[in-house]
Amino acid sequence: MKDNDDLITRREALAQVALLLGGAISAPTLAGALDAATRRAWTAPPQNWAPRTLDARQLELVAVMAEHIVPQTDTPGARAAGVHRFVDTLLSDHYPTPERDRFLGGLADVDARARSRQGKTFVECAADQQLAVLTEMDEAAYPAAGSDASRAPETWFFRQMKELTLVGYYTSQIGATQELHPSPFGVYRGDIPYSSVGRAWS
Amino acid sequence: MITYDAIVIGSGITGGWAAKELTEKGLQTLMIERGRDVVHRKDYVTEHKPSWELPLRDARLSVGTKGAEDYPIQARTGQFRESNKHFFIKDGKNPYIEDKPFTWIQGDQVGGKSLIWGRQVYRWSDLDFAANLKDGHGVDWPIRYADIAPWYSYVERFIGVSGEKLGLAQLPDGEFQPPMEMNAGEKLVKAGIERAFPDRHVTIGRVAILTRPLNGRLPCHFCGPCERGCSTGSYFSSQSSTLPAARATGKLTLVPNSVVHSLIYDADKNRVTGVRVVDAVTKQPREYHARVVFLCASTLGTTRVLLNSQSPRFPNGLANSSGVLGHYLMDHHFLAGASGSIEGLLDHYYQGNRPNGIYIPRFRNLGDDASRRDYVRGFGYQGGASRQGWGRGGGERGFGVELKRKLHDPGTWSMGMTGFGECLPREDNYVELADKTDDFGIPLLKIHCTWGDNELGMRKDMAASAAEMLEAAGCKNVRTHDAYRGGGQLGAEPGFAIHEMGTARMGRDPKTSVLNAFNQAHDVPNLFVTDGACMASTSCVNPSITYMALTARACDHAVEELKRGNL
Repeated sequence: MKDNDDLITRREALAQVALLLGGAISAPTLAGALDAATRRAWTAPPQNWAPRTLDARQLELVAVMAEHIVPQTDTPGARAAGVHRFVDTLLSDHYPTPERDRFLGGLADVDARARSRQGKTFVECAADQQLAVLTEMDEAAYPAAGSDASRAPETWFFRQMKELTLVGYYTSQIGATQELHPSPFGVYRGDIPYSSVGRAWS
Repeated sequence: MITYDAIVIGSGITGGWAAKELTEKGLQTLMIERGRDVVHRKDYVTEHKPSWELPLRDARLSVGTKGAEDYPIQARTGQFRESNKHFFIKDGKNPYIEDKPFTWIQGDQVGGKSLIWGRQVYRWSDLDFAANLKDGHGVDWPIRYADIAPWYSYVERFIGVSGEKLGLAQLPDGEFQPPMEMNAGEKLVKAGIERAFPDRHVTIGRVAILTRPLNGRLPCHFCGPCERGCSTGSYFSSQSSTLPAARATGKLTLVPNSVVHSLIYDADKNRVTGVRVVDAVTKQPREYHARVVFLCASTLGTTRVLLNSQSPRFPNGLANSSGVLGHYLMDHHFLAGASGSIEGLLDHYYQGNRPNGIYIPRFRNLGDDASRRDYVRGFGYQGGASRQGWGRGGGERGFGVELKRKLHDPGTWSMGMTGFGECLPREDNYVELADKTDDFGIPLLKIHCTWGDNELGMRKDMAASAAEMLEAAGCKNVRTHDAYRGGGQLGAEPGFAIHEMGTARMGRDPKTSVLNAFNQAHDVPNLFVTDGACMASTSCVNPSITYMALTARACDHAVEELKRGNL
């Protein structure tokens, strides 16, 4: 995937069409409509789940990075929401092979960075060392406004990882119903005080 | 051999209407559908599924991704995603050849694209019906607004349309249920645009979605993604509306999985006598016979059947003595417009997923001083405002607790709009049969279609005028967009608006058109075409309600002619 202006223009255009065709991008739904069995299935650890693309070390690396991006606060974070499992599913069932390989290459690069700075893998690093690596990647991936620094191709991975973490988290049951709330079905109100809701719709 | 009174080919928006009208008028009617059956409610398998129950979280399945392997064409549209892919055709089942990029989006099921359509419904006006005559592009429509107005009303009362009356000559009002509400951002932009441009109007979209109960269908509950199917029947589809009405007569027979190969023509009687079908599962041929045939197989599907119905009398396709069958293919051109951010309103929010946006009716070339010299005809805008959601986090620096706290609140407001522009009818935009055949022994369509100077010139104004209005309304960071790339690249090529029209046009003169004022073939009196193939021009408004009104009107005429013994 090339990151050029053409693609950005087209993506924006498509996003606008999605908006005007109903804004059904995140497909939020009513938590109250879930039956008890579904709720139990969510709280239980997934049975017989095994990654299909990531190996155990890569899976843990994704889980640790995702938890740094969306950590546990007063609500659960990315790991509890199963973002790492979602990433494995996307890599297995959705990503074209070259893009999947590029993502796996990005994971290897994270470990290489950790090794060159700390002499150990990312997962083996202390939390503050991990944060330092991710902060450096974040700053390279999102140059400060007004700066001339163009985004180097290798910064693709962190943006991708961050986007996947956000999608995986906020479309999970935890993210969509605990951290945020789905917009309830029933009526449409076009202008309500934000204070009456107090958080974004998922 | 069973003979029916009428055969309707296709079960989408126009096929459903033809079946309803013909059966209600007493005709034993056979509806033939190439795709699988889709049962109302039962087969809406993703309806109301929460995001986390969809393995890919309702990913947009773009071309080249896993999950889209069987849909290399359908995956081009932004509407193709994990939750609705089962309502699009697997492209291998109906391949076609593109001379230049032309995206042919197809349903392949009972209900056709009525399950996944955009639901925006706007009446044409005499500005549209007289356009060809006025500027000389295409042939004159054989009807005017007065001919179709009562049929618009008839259709609107049955399908249910919510919207606001504006009293505009170029966008006639209809029989409306109460409109949906604009949100705070849209209201602000509306006020700004209408203050700066008193002749322009911002209104809520007129949609075939109920805001009041109608015929056992319930008002919209604002869950959001209509295109997964709607068990409450809140939006118009064949399943929710016309098929139940047709079935209630006891006179409808529906055969899915039946691919129409060609029509059977009796040269002695100069009548169509039946339909040749290939079973989609067994590949076995079958025939059905009837006194009158309605082709409602989608614009290109219909024309392909006619082109493939060859006989000594019509060697180049049935009812094609004019030679224009297949020509004058059109689509709306869109994906040119602008967006910007709205400052303030941070204590304003909305609730519910409104499956609708705003509409700005055409304001160019109305015959007044807004007329342009660089292009003819005009465009309207669709758009909307919203507050940014959690997705904005992927575009900004920062992560961790701070990011999570920030995304707990919605972001700033933004407003976007994209134009839908009229396309001129051109002879060199056409379809023909290729030498190659598909799995059913039917020649593939080869499509030749490009935008002309008029469309490309209009697009510049579509983008610039959108930006001008957003800036006048006080929006910041206004940016234009135009997805058209040219040079044969995908972006906003013909077909992409899924409003393909023409190729069997209506007209006054049998020498230059295929159909008369009642959608009846000039050459073959018991053959009717009422889907988008019949269109002689495109207007700039969404076409489906016009197809519906033309269909109902054509059915009325056909039954009268049957009674008079003329068919």
